[in-house]
Amino acid sequence: MTLRRWVAAFAALTLGLSGCAGDGGSGGAAGESTLRWAVTLPAHWDPVVSGSGAQFRILSLAYASLTEIDENGKAVPGLAQSWDYNDKGDAVTFHLRPGLTFSDGEPLNAAAVKAYLERAKTQQNSALFGDLTSIKSVTAQGDVDVVIALSQVDYQIPLLLGERVAQITSPKAALDPAKLDQSPVGAGPFVVTENVPGSHVYLKENPDYWDAANIHVDRVELLPAPDAATIVSGLRTGVYDFANLAAAQIKTAEAAGLDVVYQPGFNASNISINVNKEPFTNPKVVDAVRYATNRQEYVDKITFGKGKATDQPFPPGYIAYDEESANRYPFDPEKARQLLAEAGYAPGQIKVDLVIQGALYATASEIVQSQLKAVGIDVTIKVDPNWEKPFFAKDLTLSVYGTTGRESPVQTLTAHFGPDGPLNLSTPYQPAGFEAAVAAARGTPLDSPDYAAKLQAATRAGLESRALVFTYSQPNIFVKTAKVSDLTPIPGQIHWTGLRVQP
Amino acid sequence: MLRRIARLTTGRIALGILATVGLLAVFGPVLAPYDPLESGADILASPSWAHLLGTDYLGRDVLSRLLDGSRVSILGAVQVALIALVVGVVPGILSVYLGRPFEWLTLRLADTLVALPFLVFAVAVTALLGNGIPQAMFVVGIMVSPLFYRVARAATLSVARSQYVEAAIIAGASVGWVIRRHVWVKVLPPIAVALANTTGVGFVVVSSLTFLGIGVQPPAPTWGGVLAADLGYLSFQPWAPLVPTALIMATVWACNLLADAIRDVTGEAGRALLNTRTVRAGLSGAGREA
Repeated sequence: MTLRRWVAAFAALTLGLSGCAGDGGSGGAAGESTLRWAVTLPAHWDPVVSGSGAQFRILSLAYASLTEIDENGKAVPGLAQSWDYNDKGDAVTFHLRPGLTFSDGEPLNAAAVKAYLERAKTQQNSALFGDLTSIKSVTAQGDVDVVIALSQVDYQIPLLLGERVAQITSPKAALDPAKLDQSPVGAGPFVVTENVPGSHVYLKENPDYWDAANIHVDRVELLPAPDAATIVSGLRTGVYDFANLAAAQIKTAEAAGLDVVYQPGFNASNISINVNKEPFTNPKVVDAVRYATNRQEYVDKITFGKGKATDQPFPPGYIAYDEESANRYPFDPEKARQLLAEAGYAPGQIKVDLVIQGALYATASEIVQSQLKAVGIDVTIKVDPNWEKPFFAKDLTLSVYGTTGRESPVQTLTAHFGPDGPLNLSTPYQPAGFEAAVAAARGTPLDSPDYAAKLQAATRAGLESRALVFTYSQPNIFVKTAKVSDLTPIPGQIHWTGLRVQP
Repeated sequence: MLRRIARLTTGRIALGILATVGLLAVFGPVLAPYDPLESGADILASPSWAHLLGTDYLGRDVLSRLLDGSRVSILGAVQVALIALVVGVVPGILSVYLGRPFEWLTLRLADTLVALPFLVFAVAVTALLGNGIPQAMFVVGIMVSPLFYRVARAATLSVARSQYVEAAIIAGASVGWVIRRHVWVKVLPPIAVALANTTGVGFVVVSSLTFLGIGVQPPAPTWGGVLAADLGYLSFQPWAPLVPTALIMATVWACNLLADAIRDVTGEAGRALLNTRTVRAGLSGAGREA
């Protein structure tokens, strides 16, 4: 074959292959606006199993919630167009929008909400039952009214029953919880059309969503997030439009001309301590850890200055942040060494394992190790891929963790300091006076002038806990291409209404 | 043999690099100018007289971390090679003498091990037995042992079928005597080549695993671990991955050069057995009776 024929054959082959390539298999039609989001694909699609952690943001594509929050963190209508409390404050009635349906055609009515809440309270693998302890019973009154009787006066319920806790599932689909966990059936802004675990999830716009008029994206493609260092390349080359971004990659993203978005949030990271295990049964050892903690080092080395030091389970400035408790244990390594000596420990005598989940918390754990070593506590870092099991079973002695916060500040407090709080490694320990302070905060209407003061008092009581040392808070950082419009700055959440993506 | 290797340019380069790497393994932690775990306020700093290779994301001296991490990387590679040697050579020689069932069994085992992806297995074993280099390298050593098995078996077969060995057996020599007197000297040169090659493979494996964060607990430094950390901060230190990469590449290259040099000095008979094609054929399962 002559050279000319080889070239002609190669050109024909190339053209033929490019003709077969289509749009890379994504299935998006020409002219459709498609959001391609590089993200850790959810292991669970049933919100009852997924729980109130960060994955709710992804599930919010497929599920609508009873309430939502606005830019100030106040509860606003979602599936429920309004709600009202009884005079005593121990019952709340949610009034649903009429004519709602799930993507499987089932009606989204009061009976469906009742079925969801009861399932969240009783299903064996529910990750939400701890959040619903205030709910005594749920009654469907007619088609659109859901009456929730409470075991205590609790004005937090509208905040609680938002995206994290009340993403309502189809009762028909929930008859097979295992299937629902892989194939979501909700009434959210999008409907899942294809879900290949570990590979991709495709969703299309749901015309029956209650606020469909404000959804301007035709299609969403969830694609597994690559290594943090290659996210920016993926956006630059058009593989993705939107992704979570590590603080270390901000400079690269900005240099590449991408939009870095700092979404407000309630994030707070902590050192979790088990006061039921040696050596932390001795309060002086816990105090030593408190004084050994230099929070600014976390801000500088993990958030690259984009975060804030915090010694509470929320960032400074949040409504429940207690200024009175701020900087109660300032960084004072000398005092930490002195406390250890008073507790009877020589430098290096305390040896403790710090168990972490993986790379996400590696840097934080190395900072903990370094700071505690400086005061005479030897920490061995152990990576356990199955970390959740011993952590939530409260078997660990020392760990590091973070929360994305909760819309209800009381929920944040009880999750950290309550006797059954999932983030309280020292269960059933709780600080004295916490329960009463939390009850007072729950019992205060959100529009009461006393509300902030009661919340802050509850925070103050919670911070007596020896089970947690808070370290830093950073905003939720995303990166997007210019094709994607600005996000509404809803704290801790991503709202899909109003978002536009150029086709 | 060392003197003969040193006469070759490639041999001298290989020995020079490997001797340096060996010294790093022994004295690296002592030579480190700083505590490799001690963090500082100056993070992701450029090279300076105070920190010749700069500092990492926690303000730790990168040179000290590389020096301290050399021991883990080198010992891991050597462990792979030694385990593969012990597990592979003895069955390789015995497969010629212990009859068809043993031969069939060991050949099938070797085929099976060659078919398995050893990196994936190493990851699985660390998940099962705990995150540590020794257990990961033990598995990798077993999984690359078919290389030694094939080389030892091929060398043994060529000797076992020679007339002088048959004459010795007819004259009443025992199998043990034949192995000690005739087989062992023929097997040693190709084994030496395989050992050098496998040590190089071991470096790649240990660097890959530690790059993935497997085998060592943070903040213990390793060459692969330092490289992985550098990749997360490319916008701050785009040059940083070059140093650990160069260390890994130079060491693997030196192992391969050494293998070539050994092959070159072991003569015609050795070359016939030791050329790359034979080794590859052994690994892929082809040329079973070569």
